[in-house]
Amino acid sequence: MENRPLEYDYTVAKMFMLTTVLLGIVGMLVGVILAWELAFPAVNTFLGQGAAEYTNFSRLRPLHTDAVIFGFTLSGVFSTWYYVGQRVLKVSMAESKFLMILGKTHFWLYLVGVVAVVVSLLMGVTTSKEYAEFEWPIDIAIVIVWVLWGVSIFGLIGMRREKSLYISVWYYIATFLGIAMLYVFNNMEIPTYFASGGIGAWWHSVSAYAGTNDALVQWWYGHNAVAFGFTVPIVAMIYYFLPKESGQAVFSYKLSLLSFWGLMFVYLWAGGHHLLFSTVPDWMQTMGSVFSIVLILPSWGSAINMLLTMKGEWQQVASSPLIKFMVLASTFYMFSTLEGPIQAIKSVNAIAHFTDWIVGHVHDGVLGWVAFMIMASLFHMAPRVFKREIYSKSLMNTQFWIQTLGVVLYFTSMWIAGITQGMMWRAHDEFGNLAYSFIDTVTVLHPYYTIRAVGGTLYLIGMFLFAWNMYKTMTAGRRVEENELQNASPMAA
Amino acid sequence: MDIATFQAYGYFGITVFMVVALYGYIYHLYSKKKDAAGIDYESYSNMALNDDITDEPVNKVSDKETKKVGE
Amino acid sequence: MFHWLEKHPFFFAVGVFVTIAFAGLIEIVPNFAQASQPVIGTKPYTTLELAGRHVYIKNSCNACHSQLVRPFKAETDRYGDYSLSGEYAFDRPFLWGSKRTGPDLLRVGNYRTTDWHENHMKDPASVVPGSIMPAYTWLYTNEADIDTAYAEQVTVKNVFSVPYNTPLPMKDGSKETVALADTLEGAQASALEEAKLVVADMKSKDIQDAVAAGKIPEIVALIAYMNSLK
Repeated sequence: MENRPLEYDYTVAKMFMLTTVLLGIVGMLVGVILAWELAFPAVNTFLGQGAAEYTNFSRLRPLHTDAVIFGFTLSGVFSTWYYVGQRVLKVSMAESKFLMILGKTHFWLYLVGVVAVVVSLLMGVTTSKEYAEFEWPIDIAIVIVWVLWGVSIFGLIGMRREKSLYISVWYYIATFLGIAMLYVFNNMEIPTYFASGGIGAWWHSVSAYAGTNDALVQWWYGHNAVAFGFTVPIVAMIYYFLPKESGQAVFSYKLSLLSFWGLMFVYLWAGGHHLLFSTVPDWMQTMGSVFSIVLILPSWGSAINMLLTMKGEWQQVASSPLIKFMVLASTFYMFSTLEGPIQAIKSVNAIAHFTDWIVGHVHDGVLGWVAFMIMASLFHMAPRVFKREIYSKSLMNTQFWIQTLGVVLYFTSMWIAGITQGMMWRAHDEFGNLAYSFIDTVTVLHPYYTIRAVGGTLYLIGMFLFAWNMYKTMTAGRRVEENELQNASPMAA
Repeated sequence: MDIATFQAYGYFGITVFMVVALYGYIYHLYSKKKDAAGIDYESYSNMALNDDITDEPVNKVSDKETKKVGE
Repeated sequence: MFHWLEKHPFFFAVGVFVTIAFAGLIEIVPNFAQASQPVIGTKPYTTLELAGRHVYIKNSCNACHSQLVRPFKAETDRYGDYSLSGEYAFDRPFLWGSKRTGPDLLRVGNYRTTDWHENHMKDPASVVPGSIMPAYTWLYTNEADIDTAYAEQVTVKNVFSVPYNTPLPMKDGSKETVALADTLEGAQASALEEAKLVVADMKSKDIQDAVAAGKIPEIVALIAYMNSLK
């Protein structure tokens, strides 16, 4: 090979790869425990009566959502940023001591934050606002972590060789700005210890908004945490990794720019669909509905763009499990961005809201789209950052099919459960009385909860296969030369 | 004018503005085909494909230009 | 304009920010004052009720129970009157929830008793056969955090002018005042008085002894909160 004085430096990307895998397993393991608890309540005390406070469904539930969102997904976002960012800007982290130190600080502080979150949620220290459960000291730490990431992004952009910003970078910037704004406003809170002159628990705070206003701000945040955590950065990943792995140029770069602006414009309005038939003003609910449906366009813009990128190269889907992961991810993205707007239609929402159908929707999005895309990204990165071949292609294939089966079991069972329960809640007998007591609508779900738990368990098994494959790649994969890394990732049978 | 009316007008006005901007952008992209630097938009796909540190950038940051962008 | 934006990441960032921020501004800000007016009959929480609300939050009851009755016949039949915005005026944070694994609790105080809750939290399936709710046995031994509840009351009174010690109109035309003690000791004492009223309807000897000894188990605070939900 030629003499390379300068190479991309993936130190920080590697660190975040580790937490992606680790927190992915933690988050999904907790999820599987929760699923079994719903199917079989005895599981709530699986560590004995003494530990029941820390193992019961309600205490673990925020830990599951936060570990998957802020642990697994965010680690994946950071990890891919520290990889993709350098490459598309054509600048190495090794060129700046400052950025290197910053990146490492970013990682370690993030890790401290993760530990604090796990401990505090298990202790029951929570604000109760979904995906914003952390009390003020952790909020401050998170803001610092976020600012560090921001400085990293703009620092790298500032010293770039490539003048134009690749579409993925746009999406990463939008992730940074979007979450920053949403997080700060939703977590406006007043520490009671200081406001009352030193009484009570020091970590406790009270929300700056009350009732309906709090709900509005929360779902403006909650929905857009999905937008800017589960959609925008994942789109950033697919715009880089799919073309790179397949060796195909993006089908239409113009369409990618359009979809970007469309998504930015529309997504923020859609939060109102979480509050249909609540006490927020009607026009806001209707607007939430309408914009949710408009949202199909930019979402599909990106998804179709990706599928068309594979035009003429579909044999790659059959031959490469890595491409399989990404194509299935964009398919699930289309599917889930169609399902979401359907649920946001008022008459559908009347049945679907508060039921398991919503849970199903979240999971076909997160398991099928987000997690598949993150794992595909890590698989693509592994040979490049470790300079080794992916350990086992057959293991990847196995993982793919196990997890796909898991997702399918998950969302089909939750559809049936959700619609069943939604219909039973509203059923009346011929005299106009409610046909079912609430508990009837719970016991009927038992088979679906069991199927869901099985689906989740399959997905978790796939996750372990993923971790094992990554570990073996890192330690035992065949060493590869630079020229094997141009497009399709090298993988051993 | 009470606040709800103001809200409605603001909402309507901004929505119209955004729609115009978005469609203007579509028109701009497909009529111009090239950006201000004279580079075909589609060639930006190569930023992902040729992303080795020794590859030639699609649109190089020239040495004499001051780096005032970003921060 | 578009050419220019593409080349200036800083202004590009500002553009993205404005685009995503304006939705929030239009949606949320104008309605703020209007939505936070309490309706007649809505009172701020007492110290013990607020401590109970903290127990509710600590155990993420909102993960499975909503507190939002939608305006459908099926819901008003099951849970009572549909929700009004002003009813939530003193809820910081709101506890609408997003999933009904269990029933709505917005008006649970209308149809469940102290006694029912006492048995139910200890062993849900014994009261509701087939229930998949876990038992919350630790509520009977952990002590409620009255101090933090009082700190929150002081905070919301000072910062958000929540009307403690102010006569408030009730639905039947009377006036009611929710008292807030001047000192922490005063708040502890009044919380204990409240707790004694709750415990009078409870069966457990241990709980009664604990309250008699000046301790307030979490379950007592939680029940005080649940009974206040009407």
